Amino acid sequence: MTAVAHVSRNAVAASAAEDSQQFLTFMLGGEVFAIGILAIKEIIEYAGLTTVPLMPECVRGVINLRGAVVPVMDLAARFGRPATQIGKRTAIVIVEIDADGEQQVVGVMVDAVNAVIDIAPADIEKAPQFGARIRSEFISGMGKVNGKFVILLNTDQVLSVSELEAMAGVSNLATAEN
Amino acid sequence: MDLDLALQTFILESRELLEDMENALLNAEQAGGHESVHAIFRAAHTIKGSAGLFGLDHIVAFTHVVESLLDDVRDGKLAMTDELIVLLLSCCDHLSGMINAIEAGQTDPDPEMQAAGAPLLVQLRAHMGVMDDGHGAAPAASALVTKPDHPGVERIEEQGGGSSDAWHLSLRFGPDVLRDGMDPLSFIRYLGQIGRIVGIVTLTDAIPAADKMDPETCYLGFEIALETDADKASIEGVFEFVADSCTLRILPPRTRIEEYVRLIRELPEQKAMLGEMLVRCGVITQRELDNALHAQAQAGATPAATPPLGAVLVGQGAAEPAIVEAALTKQKQSVETTKPAESRSIRVDADKLDLLINLVGELIIVGASANLIARQVRNSELLECTSMLSDLVEQVRDSALQLRMVKIGATFNRFQRVVHDVAREIGKDIGLAVSGEDTELDKTVVEKIGDPLTHLVRNAIDHGIEPAEVRAERGKPLRGTVRLNAFHDSGSIVIEVSDDGGGLNRDRIFAKAVERGLVEPDRKMSDTEIYGLIFEPGFSTAEKITNLSGRGVGMDVVKKNITALRGTVSVDSAPGLGTTVTVRLPLTLAIIDGFLVGLGDSTFVVPLDMIDECIEFASEAGHDYTNLRGQVLPFIRLRDLFGVDTPPPRRESIVVVKHAGHRVGLVVDSLQGEFQTVIKPLGRMFSQLRCISGSTILGNGEVALILDVPAIVGQGSGITAEVPQLAA
Amino acid sequence: MSTGHVAIDGELNIYRAADLKTLLQGELARSNVLEVDLAGVTEVDSAGLQVLMLAKQTARAENRELRLVGHSPAVLEVFELLDLGAWFGDALVIGPRAA
Repeated sequence: MTAVAHVSRNAVAASAAEDSQQFLTFMLGGEVFAIGILAIKEIIEYAGLTTVPLMPECVRGVINLRGAVVPVMDLAARFGRPATQIGKRTAIVIVEIDADGEQQVVGVMVDAVNAVIDIAPADIEKAPQFGARIRSEFISGMGKVNGKFVILLNTDQVLSVSELEAMAGVSNLATAEN
Repeated sequence: MDLDLALQTFILESRELLEDMENALLNAEQAGGHESVHAIFRAAHTIKGSAGLFGLDHIVAFTHVVESLLDDVRDGKLAMTDELIVLLLSCCDHLSGMINAIEAGQTDPDPEMQAAGAPLLVQLRAHMGVMDDGHGAAPAASALVTKPDHPGVERIEEQGGGSSDAWHLSLRFGPDVLRDGMDPLSFIRYLGQIGRIVGIVTLTDAIPAADKMDPETCYLGFEIALETDADKASIEGVFEFVADSCTLRILPPRTRIEEYVRLIRELPEQKAMLGEMLVRCGVITQRELDNALHAQAQAGATPAATPPLGAVLVGQGAAEPAIVEAALTKQKQSVETTKPAESRSIRVDADKLDLLINLVGELIIVGASANLIARQVRNSELLECTSMLSDLVEQVRDSALQLRMVKIGATFNRFQRVVHDVAREIGKDIGLAVSGEDTELDKTVVEKIGDPLTHLVRNAIDHGIEPAEVRAERGKPLRGTVRLNAFHDSGSIVIEVSDDGGGLNRDRIFAKAVERGLVEPDRKMSDTEIYGLIFEPGFSTAEKITNLSGRGVGMDVVKKNITALRGTVSVDSAPGLGTTVTVRLPLTLAIIDGFLVGLGDSTFVVPLDMIDECIEFASEAGHDYTNLRGQVLPFIRLRDLFGVDTPPPRRESIVVVKHAGHRVGLVVDSLQGEFQTVIKPLGRMFSQLRCISGSTILGNGEVALILDVPAIVGQGSGITAEVPQLAA
Repeated sequence: MSTGHVAIDGELNIYRAADLKTLLQGELARSNVLEVDLAGVTEVDSAGLQVLMLAKQTARAENRELRLVGHSPAVLEVFELLDLGAWFGDALVIGPRAA
């Protein structure tokens, strides 16, 4: 697995003066989403994944990241959409999230990675009550980029370990009772 | 030095020492061994020394009295009676309380605590005072040092017994001196003829207890200060006839410090306290020693290798630094060498150990890669080398893992106290029998198993063992027995808590469960299933809610704790005879010996120690079982269980595993051979995942999942070591 | 509290040490306080001394009391030589030395 990009933190320092935050934009099912780069550790090519049985659809499996076993989520499935198809540009974004005080490293599968952009706070609007077709708690805001809206994801919620843990519990129980 | 960290260590160590002391005291009750007494003394002595380092004077003061009493016991001057043991146990508790206060941040003595300790001190002193034949109130000081108000002493002091102008003789007569027809007294008399004995100390440490003492063996030693004009050769000449069988060290007057230092190092007594030794050597007087002890208690002391007493003495100008240094080294040695095998262990930070094990794990993975590449490259030299490397890595792995394994005996022994106290509290006569103390398990598991086990033991005492009258009626021995047993079984450690009490009342349990709505009244359940109901939350059939258990919050918490360790718990009982609770825990090794199997596109690992054998797949038509040498072997199709949808191979295989006495087959696509590697936990997201217990990284970098065989067996076939889920 | 009395006469030396040990230990076991009269002791050697020391040690270990009384000159001489007064803890009447 080769690292396609290591997010540079220096860039953050530079833009701090202007008060805008930096986001990584990516494609998922034809739509553009974004995640704040502070949470992102690295981005790698998709190359083989070990499926873990009896887990919910949105947990695609695990990968070996330099000796650490990291779970990989399929955001499309997480948003209730059909599972992501593996393509040439499919990538895994490695994100560090806070799970009840513990740091967890999770990989997120995306169709393609776009650029890192600056979005000034003035250009960020609150999440809509409905209409975005994904759960509102997953959205931390709507960023205006080039006249279009980009959904800024709340990674702690999207990748909520406790929620996923519970989901896994349900699917395992279901199997037990068969 | 980080004082906080050091204080934490002190608290930890003191707790361990108090535990040792308690165990030794309880053992002394039974075995009455010399070794127990030494252990008890060592514990108190070490706590006192460490407390002194931190200026915890109230602890030093209390422990000092305890230590003095123990010193007398050790010397055979005081007997270890039951009364004394109970008193010392109370002292242990008091010290425990003081340590707890320190941990809570209260380093100054608490007046209430001091008040609690006062009666203990009174009793301690009373025991010692009985043998106080006018030897003074500080038993730690050498009883051999002359007292000022005794006529014999006065006479010698009048003569101005400074040692600086006298020779110093250190004399130890050999055991056969008397049998050889010599008499130490005559030698000393002769010394008196060539000079003037200005100071003499008779050493009787070596005289054993009466039953061991041989009247014809010489046990005496002497430290003598001699003023004389004779030269060294003449002095030595006095002892010419016993030169072969005794040890004699002579130091000239105004001798160089190095000589005194060497003398101290060579003194044979193992029990010498620093103060006593210096006094014996005539370097300081008793009065100076007492002052120094007092000053030490006031001032607190310097850390590290130099115990404070020496520093204080030097500070007061009472002793030469170099001599003190040597005496301290000697004292440290003597304290250390009195510990038998224990001193050969060191304290290791658990995090460092974990780091080491992780690194070893990585080493194994990389080693496997190297091996794989070597095989692919088909270079025989390289292959040989990597094979040797793998062997060595395996040895390192085994050693590293051993570091984390501890014997469960220590945990079991803690329960002696629990049983002792609880039984007394509720007025039952109960003994604890322990077996399998040498069974080893991972340190982290040991730490977490303590609480659940405690509850199980208390339960057995409280509810299991019947009151004495009932036992008598039933013709059982009045003393009830709780038994703790541990052993290894196919990759797990099994701990049994059993009692010879009245057993579980099947009907009452069922009735209670129906009452609590846990079970439908007409449900048919086996005895084992009914007994398992006691682990349900909110369940308790105890008629009286006692202090300990019976509040109905116990057994379900026990089960939860054990399940959190990926273990299982079950109960069996025979009415009138007793109950046994069986806890099964995985050995939780960080590194696993596994067997690789292929399933679909993935590779899975089956723990090697669960595997009995591997056979070709064949089944009785339409059923999920096969014929294994005449026996029915049920199997589970993992493809079905895991929802694998790739086309199956032409020939599948069955891995026969054993768990809790049952044999089950796992149907897999392919068998890929043995493999050892480190277990990588899967993270919280996967905590509810039942059939997978972890993951590992193969030589080719792929991730393989480790099968949780007990869970799979439980899922697939209904044969389970756990109580099945009840109707919600 | 019963007080036992025993007197030692003659030589307190290696030839009688074994017997004297048995005697003293036996007497000690019989009473809480044992008074040993040494007025008749004519000679003391190291073995004899050890027997007395053993008796004292045993007494302490068993919470009993051993009292030495009537130290004869032979006994006194040894006690002074080795400065054992404090060790045994009994009152010594230091009279004029016998020849």
